[in-house]
Amino acid sequence: MAEPSILSQVRSRSDGNMAVIYAADYLNKLSGERIERECRRQLEAGCRALIICFRETELVNSIGISILLGVINVVENAGARLIFSDVNQQTIQLFEMLGLTRHVALAKDEREALTTLVEFAPPPKAVGH
Amino acid sequence: MPSRARHKGGKGTPILGRITPDEFVGRRDALAQLVKLGSSDSSERGLLLLSAPSVGVSELLRQAYDELFRERGDVVPIYFALNRSDKTAVGTADQFLRTFLLQLVAFRRHDPGLADASLSIADLLQLAAPGDYEWVERLLEMTERARVDEDARTFIRLCLSAPQRSFAGGARPFVLLDGLELAEHLNGVDVPLGTEIAQALFHSGGPYVLAGLRRHLLGAVHNARNGNDSAGSLRLDRLSDDDARAMVEHVARRAEITINDQTRDLIVQQTAGNPMFITALLRAAQERHIALTSFRNCQQLYVDELMGGRIHRHFTSLLEEIAPSSSVRRSLVRVLYEAAHGDGGKTMVETWRKRLNLEPESFQKITRQLHVHELASLDANFIEAGKGALVWSDYLSARYRLEVGAEPRALVVADMLTETLKRAPHTMARHYRRETALGLRELLERFNCQRIPASLFHYDRFSKTHKGTETDELMAALDAETDLVRLPQVVHAASCAAFHPPIQQVCDTERCAVAHGFDAGQYADANEIVWIAAEIDSKLEAGRGITEVWCDRLMQVARVCGFNKVRLWLVAPEGFSPDASELLKERDAYGSSRQQLELLTERINVASAAMARLEVAPDEFEMVIPMGDDTELIAAHTVEQIARRISFRPEAINQIKTALVEACINATEHSLSPDRKIYQRFRVESDRLVITVSSRGVVPASLASQNGDAPEGNDLTEGTKEARGWGLKLIRTLMDEVEFERVDDGTRLRMTKYLRKD
Repeated sequence: MAEPSILSQVRSRSDGNMAVIYAADYLNKLSGERIERECRRQLEAGCRALIICFRETELVNSIGISILLGVINVVENAGARLIFSDVNQQTIQLFEMLGLTRHVALAKDEREALTTLVEFAPPPKAVGH
Repeated sequence: MPSRARHKGGKGTPILGRITPDEFVGRRDALAQLVKLGSSDSSERGLLLLSAPSVGVSELLRQAYDELFRERGDVVPIYFALNRSDKTAVGTADQFLRTFLLQLVAFRRHDPGLADASLSIADLLQLAAPGDYEWVERLLEMTERARVDEDARTFIRLCLSAPQRSFAGGARPFVLLDGLELAEHLNGVDVPLGTEIAQALFHSGGPYVLAGLRRHLLGAVHNARNGNDSAGSLRLDRLSDDDARAMVEHVARRAEITINDQTRDLIVQQTAGNPMFITALLRAAQERHIALTSFRNCQQLYVDELMGGRIHRHFTSLLEEIAPSSSVRRSLVRVLYEAAHGDGGKTMVETWRKRLNLEPESFQKITRQLHVHELASLDANFIEAGKGALVWSDYLSARYRLEVGAEPRALVVADMLTETLKRAPHTMARHYRRETALGLRELLERFNCQRIPASLFHYDRFSKTHKGTETDELMAALDAETDLVRLPQVVHAASCAAFHPPIQQVCDTERCAVAHGFDAGQYADANEIVWIAAEIDSKLEAGRGITEVWCDRLMQVARVCGFNKVRLWLVAPEGFSPDASELLKERDAYGSSRQQLELLTERINVASAAMARLEVAPDEFEMVIPMGDDTELIAAHTVEQIARRISFRPEAINQIKTALVEACINATEHSLSPDRKIYQRFRVESDRLVITVSSRGVVPASLASQNGDAPEGNDLTEGTKEARGWGLKLIRTLMDEVEFERVDDGTRLRMTKYLRKD
């Protein structure tokens, strides 16, 4: 898998047609928009499955969550797949309250998310063999 | 040099006071406020003492003088009273200067006996302290020169400059000036003496009190002030019944008059607790050796006082002052009496002028004096005869019959006596009714958006669920009640009779009240509401008939007064019958029993105490953060530390942090704040954390309306993808109690999280 990218001030890494985007410690308007932009970039680059990893996220606010709803729409419209991973219990509670969990799958960690997505978007076969 | 009694001014002995400090009742707070003005740490320099007529302001000032004299602090007390015998401005100014110098000498020489001595100017100069001698001598020379030159204006100003000159000379005079309204009548020179006095005190450098009738004083000092003085004000009204009773007892004891509880109370009620009338009656009793042990004796004395005693002389000289011409005075008595005994209400000023047949200028002078002395009320083009004071009404009635009706004096006296004797039991009954009134107006005044169990406004519900239960059980049940009525914020409450005088024919003034307010404390047309509350006499549960009559009466008041949105509230001691309760429901009116009212009062007291605690809570943290730049994180980290101190669980701490972040975002997004700041308070209690987030600016109606209620549509669990604007909803989900309110210049959100030990 490629080294994490910090071009858009949001850390991400891609592996074939899959990408992992790392959310910041505080999910607010600015960090939410960065995630959204990175998601769009990855989709434009041909990604078919995205993971947003919340391992470092301690606090979220309603504006950040509303942007995540937008991300879910964008990914859906692109016919791609999205999973949230490493979401702490308090944040899961908020996502549930705001109905996010009805539109996005949650994975315990990045590995579980990748495993799930591999089934949906298998890595492209090597050409020339 | 005159010799004075040396015992004056000893502890408890009056100097200028007419009674000892122990006998001075009912004005302790006012006295303390006056005396405090003389202390060097007082934040105010001047005080306007706005007094109702004859309520004892002179004695209050004299007591203040005595106390200041005895204290021997760094101020020199000077008491000067204008009086009705003063005829010219020059004479009054001269008297002011002499009094000033006399009392300065008395204080400097520690000789209270000099304070009201009669000394010549030469004596005063001789007795002046070395530090004062120079300016006193110079001032006396200048005033003498002005007198010889017949320059009245200069003379007056020089006399009144004594406080300023003494201040410049190192003394700190504290002038207590009494009866400023009397300066209006002084003539002989084209100088507005009241304004001159006020200006002299403003510029004196020392503390001062300007006392006068409340309807005169503010206007009199307005011109003198010229926006440069910022004196505080103190209103002096009638004595309370308790204080008036104490006063009657003190005076009777001193004068060795036998009195009993019944006659004491009759005197208090009949004189409306007026110290001057009480003193006049008791002095008359002393002089004539009459024991005040029966209503008959009391009323005989009272009628004698009205017909020829001190009370008679007081009103007679007042009328002479207002209308010096005897023919005008006679017409005035007729007009005042007939207006007071006619259909009541206001009359066009012009109507009075025509009846008095006076030139506009003379008429204006008379009506102004009537207004100042509260014998009539003048309001733009309308005038209304004063009917409030029983003593004045009785005096006027006697005078009218004698002067206008030309009735025989013996007949008038006999009628007065029989009438006042017949009236005495009614006067007392009225007093007892007033004493037992539930105090609806006072209670309504305290309505301030408190949430009250709805059963306290619905007798049928209360009766069904709570009647007969033990107090603890009842309290717990009320605490557990979820159907709450949010009281309006009342901004004005008054007797119903003040809005609609005819209601007095069926109800005592204090038993029916009208309160103007705003629902949810939001100052908007849609939230404006008028509560009309009345106390119904009924020994048993009030029946449908009487309840209907009262509902109709109160609706009639609302119609006549043009109240749009009205809430009727009836209170019957024993509550309402099922039929009556049904009617109240039909009329959308509230109905409570005395017990419910008491519980309501208790709840409001508790809520008020909680509000007070909010203001001064010791375990409280405060923080102000600028809006934007993720400063809500600073708030979140702070509240985390505070929540940890009281052992909230991590999950709860996260909820609190998120709620606070949302509150800060709400404030930032919606307030259009002028200072771009968020004010936060964190109050720690044993079982909860209360967070208040406020900001200045406006709040959209949509946000305000979310208080405690879900916004239409966007349910959190609906799964909608539109989450913006859900901040407040999220807060309510995360916290246990949330109250959003509009305050004067912004919004305030109060959030509470309870500690759960399990």
